[in-house]
Amino acid sequence: MSGVRLTRRALIAGAGTTALAAPGLAQSLVGQLVDLGLPDGPSLRPTTPAFPGKGEMIVQRVNAPVLETPMSVFREGLITPNDRFFVRWNWPMPTAVKAGAHRVAVGGAVRQAVSLTLDEIAAAGEHVSIVAINQCAGNGRGLSEPRVTGTQWGNGAMGCAKWTGVRLRDVLAKAGIAAGATRVRFAGLDVPLVDGAPQFIKSIPLDIAMRDDVLVAWGMNDEPLPILHGFPLRIVVPGWFSTYWVKMLSTIEVLTGEDDSYYVAKSYRVPAAPVTPEDKDFPTIPITAMPPRAFITSHADGAVVAKGQPLTLEGIAFGGDCALERVDLVGEGWEMPCTLGPDEHGPYAFRRWSVTLPPLAGDLSQIGVRARNVQGAVQPDRLAWNPSGYARNVIERITLRAQ
Amino acid sequence: MRHALVLVALMLLAACERAPEVTFADAAITLPDDPTELPDLPGRDAVIANCTACHSPSTMLQQPAIPRARWESIIGKMTEVYKAPIDQSAVPEIVDYLLAAQAARPPERSAPDVAPTS
Repeated sequence: MSGVRLTRRALIAGAGTTALAAPGLAQSLVGQLVDLGLPDGPSLRPTTPAFPGKGEMIVQRVNAPVLETPMSVFREGLITPNDRFFVRWNWPMPTAVKAGAHRVAVGGAVRQAVSLTLDEIAAAGEHVSIVAINQCAGNGRGLSEPRVTGTQWGNGAMGCAKWTGVRLRDVLAKAGIAAGATRVRFAGLDVPLVDGAPQFIKSIPLDIAMRDDVLVAWGMNDEPLPILHGFPLRIVVPGWFSTYWVKMLSTIEVLTGEDDSYYVAKSYRVPAAPVTPEDKDFPTIPITAMPPRAFITSHADGAVVAKGQPLTLEGIAFGGDCALERVDLVGEGWEMPCTLGPDEHGPYAFRRWSVTLPPLAGDLSQIGVRARNVQGAVQPDRLAWNPSGYARNVIERITLRAQ
Repeated sequence: MRHALVLVALMLLAACERAPEVTFADAAITLPDDPTELPDLPGRDAVIANCTACHSPSTMLQQPAIPRARWESIIGKMTEVYKAPIDQSAVPEIVDYLLAAQAARPPERSAPDVAPTS
């Protein structure tokens, strides 16, 4: 598949607008540069269509692949196309999977451990589709102030797709859950390069695993899961951060106690109570359900708008682990309600909002949109800073210049 | 006879409304090349020898400006948690390189990540 590799010619063609290097990235991949608006930089990232099955994506890392969706994609529709959906792997993953040879081992605290083929998974129960947002726990990390280390995402580590598969509980029923079960843990084909390093395995509480809408999915927007998104199977946990949506699923393990594995017990955790950058050794809890978020997609920070004219702003929002209730446009000391678009895809999906402002007298300084969900969770005015930059949902503000 | 045909048609329809068959085909991709593009500064060879086997240089070079102690902590985590076979005697040289590479970053021009409105 050498056709996906960029040529020297493509590099030269793409280099016209910005000759400055993007830090540390293969210049042979550079199509154009986008500015993620990361405070004090480095903020520029190249985009490339060079990854198989992907359109123009922001390159955070080639190996293991980490690709971000440009915000402009979210203007185009509520469903994020597979070829523009963000990609994030903790460890390198296989680049080839034989469907006929793939097995999913279901074991641990079960009555009868089983090893299931893909056809057996597909026959395990009713086929279910759900539209749900898949968002990285670290989405927006690069915007943290003070800055924190880790993948320096803008806000494009999210997407909304239709996922199709069978219920996890139907797959678990093939083995039978034994008494004393507490959690269900997942592992995929992505494994560390070196011995002794922690495998990327994740678990969810049993009551979440038994939910009606938690899936073992093979379909993404009515296509087979692409390899970059976890072919042949991935876990889908609507309303929970992507870290639990284990890709290339190969093992399901029922646990009887707590999960002491690294990526649950040590990583992907947030402070139990608010902290400051000076705090050390505070209690932490696993990051789980998503809070509400909203984004202006019609205008970028610093955009010029027409003075004396009404202005319509548009964007997307979501409720997180429950439905969106409302979106408000907020400025400095004022706010006004936005109109929600129709509920097209259910509680776990993106939803449109819009608002029209009266004729502008001047600049719109530090405006943002604030989502509230039906459980009353509302986006905060100030960042709930945490050292890993997880679960960002502060109101995102921009300034528009009226001329 | 006509009723039987209707029944057959209904049965076919019902069959169609059952879970659609899903077929799984093999999948394979080829990832783009990942050339090592690190600024030419002292310590570059140590970074290549100890860091880039596991991840692209961008992992390091896209980080915000952080002090020496933070880099040392990150390298410690790579060694202790992720079991990276890092030559410990090379750590000071690696940290020097990372600090120098951050200091040498060119200024950036803005190009917002949302197309301008028409």
